[in-house]
Amino acid sequence: MNHIIRRRLAAVTAALAATALLAACSGGGSTTIDKTTPTNLKGSVSLWHFFTDREAKVIQSVVDDFEKANPGVKVTVHSGQDDDKLQKAISAGTNVDVGISYSTDIVGSFCSSGAFRDLGPYIARDKVDLTQFNDTVRSYTEYKKTRCAMPVLADVYGLYYNKKELAAAGYTAPPASLDELEAMALKLTTYNADGSIKQLGFDPLMGFYENSAAHWGPSTGAQWLKPSGKSAIGTDGAWNEIMTWQKAFVDKIGYDKLQTFTAGLGQEFSADNAFQTGQVAMNLDGEYRTAFIGDQTPDLDYGTAPFPTASDHSDLQGGGYITGNIGGISKGSKNPELAWALLKYLTTNTDAVVKLANGLKNAPTTSGALSSPNLSLGTQFGTFLDIMSNPKSTTTPPSPVGAGYQQSLEDYWLKFQQGKGGDLAAGLASVDKDVNNSLALVSGP
Amino acid sequence: MTTVVPRMMGTASATRFRRPSGRVVGWVAEHTLLAVLLVLFVAPIVFVLLTSLMTVNQTLTASIWPNPFTAQNYLDAFAKVPLARWFANSALYAVLATLFMLASSIPAAYALARLRFRGANLIFLAVVVAMLLPPQITAVPIYVMWAKLGFTGTLLPLILPNLLGDAFSIFLLRQFFLTIPREYSDAARMDGASEWGVLTRVILPMARPGIAAAGLFMFFNSWNDYYGPLLYTSENEQWWPVSYGLATFRGSHSTNWGLTMAITVLVMVPVVLIFFFAQRVFVEGITLSGVKG
Amino acid sequence: MTTIASRTGRAGTLTGPVRPGLRRSQRRRLLTALVMLTPALLGLGLFFGYPLVASVFYSFTRYNLLSEPEWIGLRNYQYLFTQDPKVWTAAANTLWFVVILVPIRLLTSLGVAALLVRARQASGFWRTAFYLPALVPPVASVVAFVFLFNPGTGPVNAILHALGIRGPLWFSDPNLAKPSLVLLGIWVMGDVMIIFLAALLDVPRDQYEAAELDGANAFQRGRYVTFPNIIPVLIFAGVTGVIAALQYFTEAAVASAVASGKASVGDAAGAVAGYPDDSLLTYTQWIYVRGFSNFQLGYASALAVLLFVVAAVFLALLLRRVKAFTPEEAQS
Repeated sequence: MNHIIRRRLAAVTAALAATALLAACSGGGSTTIDKTTPTNLKGSVSLWHFFTDREAKVIQSVVDDFEKANPGVKVTVHSGQDDDKLQKAISAGTNVDVGISYSTDIVGSFCSSGAFRDLGPYIARDKVDLTQFNDTVRSYTEYKKTRCAMPVLADVYGLYYNKKELAAAGYTAPPASLDELEAMALKLTTYNADGSIKQLGFDPLMGFYENSAAHWGPSTGAQWLKPSGKSAIGTDGAWNEIMTWQKAFVDKIGYDKLQTFTAGLGQEFSADNAFQTGQVAMNLDGEYRTAFIGDQTPDLDYGTAPFPTASDHSDLQGGGYITGNIGGISKGSKNPELAWALLKYLTTNTDAVVKLANGLKNAPTTSGALSSPNLSLGTQFGTFLDIMSNPKSTTTPPSPVGAGYQQSLEDYWLKFQQGKGGDLAAGLASVDKDVNNSLALVSGP
Repeated sequence: MTTVVPRMMGTASATRFRRPSGRVVGWVAEHTLLAVLLVLFVAPIVFVLLTSLMTVNQTLTASIWPNPFTAQNYLDAFAKVPLARWFANSALYAVLATLFMLASSIPAAYALARLRFRGANLIFLAVVVAMLLPPQITAVPIYVMWAKLGFTGTLLPLILPNLLGDAFSIFLLRQFFLTIPREYSDAARMDGASEWGVLTRVILPMARPGIAAAGLFMFFNSWNDYYGPLLYTSENEQWWPVSYGLATFRGSHSTNWGLTMAITVLVMVPVVLIFFFAQRVFVEGITLSGVKG
Repeated sequence: MTTIASRTGRAGTLTGPVRPGLRRSQRRRLLTALVMLTPALLGLGLFFGYPLVASVFYSFTRYNLLSEPEWIGLRNYQYLFTQDPKVWTAAANTLWFVVILVPIRLLTSLGVAALLVRARQASGFWRTAFYLPALVPPVASVVAFVFLFNPGTGPVNAILHALGIRGPLWFSDPNLAKPSLVLLGIWVMGDVMIIFLAALLDVPRDQYEAAELDGANAFQRGRYVTFPNIIPVLIFAGVTGVIAALQYFTEAAVASAVASGKASVGDAAGAVAGYPDDSLLTYTQWIYVRGFSNFQLGYASALAVLLFVVAAVFLALLLRRVKAFTPEEAQS
């Protein structure tokens, strides 16, 4: 954070002399803001987001509304920009005004590196009420008390189940515990004559679709970072617990068989998604899947539920993993006031948030949108709104290495599930070391 | 060497040494082996072609023969994917890079091949080292440079450097220029030609095959380039060339193998066509770059 | 080869007799040479000399493009040698390609070239057929191979299945991913094969005939006639092969991305690079991931400096052994 403060101090003293010119040039824009909210907005502003196809059209419709409300403003939209590209564009000083990312993991690195500007002064000036966002959502959009991002809807993860396939196997309700999930999945799994998998109850492979450490951790209440900012992975027994369960599950079917089956499955966001084709009866997925199903396979008879929790963690039941899309204003923005106006509109205007939520089938993040009568998210969506408001739901903490700490664990997990991880406790301890080392390289002394 | 090259891809030469008769068994064995190898080498292309003619559903089965045959994938390749723009970008990149390279590298290669001056050896050594070192070694500072100029997100960082010479092309052209008998340029000098005159009126016409080879190499390298576009234009879809587009497209349409294979075929076509029109030049270039050991 | 050597050798003696005005003409020649070389010299400085030095400087800093480089001394190197969890995996993978891929490519292309030399009928057809795959753009050939070897629906496993063999996972199996890329490397061996073919065709016929008269069998002819004649080409192909393998990137990166079925290539390169299980994570990819995915440009520079040191060793070897790369010929 120091350098941001330093930069602001510099901007004040810069009034003195030629240094002012230098700072303005190298900083890529002024850091002081207008005293009052500008009224008559004019100019052009660029919006970078990661959505494609159908979802990009939803964003575009809200951008159109913004342009209609501000006739002097032209928004240039760059779609399909994932985090790597966004970071590249922002770091290289490309003219990105507002950037929207699908993962909260970048908040730590973008806030600490200055890729995203501090929004605090704008929020204070325009008196934006931050309590309209719930605590989890607020926590993942700031880093060490610096708010450099605003929430653009939230993603909530739960269990999807194929009602027809469950009923055929004699089940009327989705599993509530991991053990139930496993037992049901094994019963729902069928094989071809040559021994290969024909249909799977649940694909337990780490790395398959949305199967990630971050999404599974809440099942045992596993923690990522200690309050000191160091890794908690090795010392928190909860990781050991969920990984041991997962490995045993994989072994019951066989890693090779699962891998062969998984390699032949359709792409996650295409109509060939294995849950939508019925090849997988139960699946961990985000609330947005309801929109894909509605669009691509509307006849699918399915239900949604919170993801099962470990039997000895029944207190966590009903919770889940929450993350969200976040938006920020890049360091290199040529017109931060316009950028802020657009970002504010996208994240706090009730009509805009409701329209985005309805179109993307993502969870709205403002209390105003949540209570709006215009919100129509479909019958399967209630589960996700419940998970979102459940106090047991958690998210992944921001860090200066972004999602690097999750990557370290998943790298090990991928080895471990094949039986190549050696002793689990020792493996997790070495993950700890890797995470702490990389944290130190980026931000250490 | 150069006398051998022109017949490389042509018909068998008559100067082959006498083979003792009665080696029919050896002949049959060799040709059988060649035929088997040929099938293995051609099979991948055949499978790609066949798959590109399948329906989406059929590509997801293990069947190998299209039933029915469909050209839909090729139509989709242009309708659903910005393939035309990718091609245009690749063509722009490859053509400009090649022209710029020729303009800057031909004089340099000539100077290194024919003009004696202090420091020539050192410069040649630098060219060879620059040509052989992995480009990733210098990637960071060059990227920072283009980022500060605001050129990232475009193909300019890949095109513009060719205005300042390309190490491999300079090397290759120099090797060619060395094979042109000195007598010709000496004669031109006697007639009062300057070095530029010698270059344009004597060397250029005589080294046409070499220049064509260097140009083709540059063209192919730019057309096939993946690392450069990944580094500089991945965040700007507008400037994606085919090779990067194909790799990335495959990601978002993972199961549509038919469409993917159709695009794969379309990406191969220009390169193969150019090869058939210019194969002699091309083979000569490859040979000259390597055989003079 | 021989014709060129003699030509340049003779040309060396062709410098004219000393006459007045030589100095002026020499000076003019130097000036002309400078003008002709100016763009190339600028290019060498700007895109080679400067970045080489700058890489060393950045390797001592923490730098993310957003803030100025911060001097951290040897911290990056300490992390590289003692803490980086993947750098040795990446280095080992690259070394694997150097040690396995390069010799296999050399041997197979030499073998095919030897067969092609003897194919007299329709030699143009055979040569073109075996050269053609080398022309396929690398990305296209990788995408094609991952499809061919797709465990579920690919033709290779379909054929194996028809033969009653259960096909392996190929690009999805950490033990087979690299060998699968070797198969691809063999398929596109045409570039090396053409060089060998030219060298084999260039072996003087009279040497074979003399050897045959002396009663040498086929093996002895190969050992004492062919081999000594093509050894310079073998060395050239070997060392340039090693240098190419040290920068192996595109094939491995695209294979990982396509086989993993994840959203896309290059994007989220950090997450997909090396799939499966880092088995395809090469050293140059690791530089890319740390530098342009994590934007740890200082650390990426340290990785680059290490690569430079290793590449320089091979380079020195190459410069000593391959005549084409030594400037003496410029003396002509």
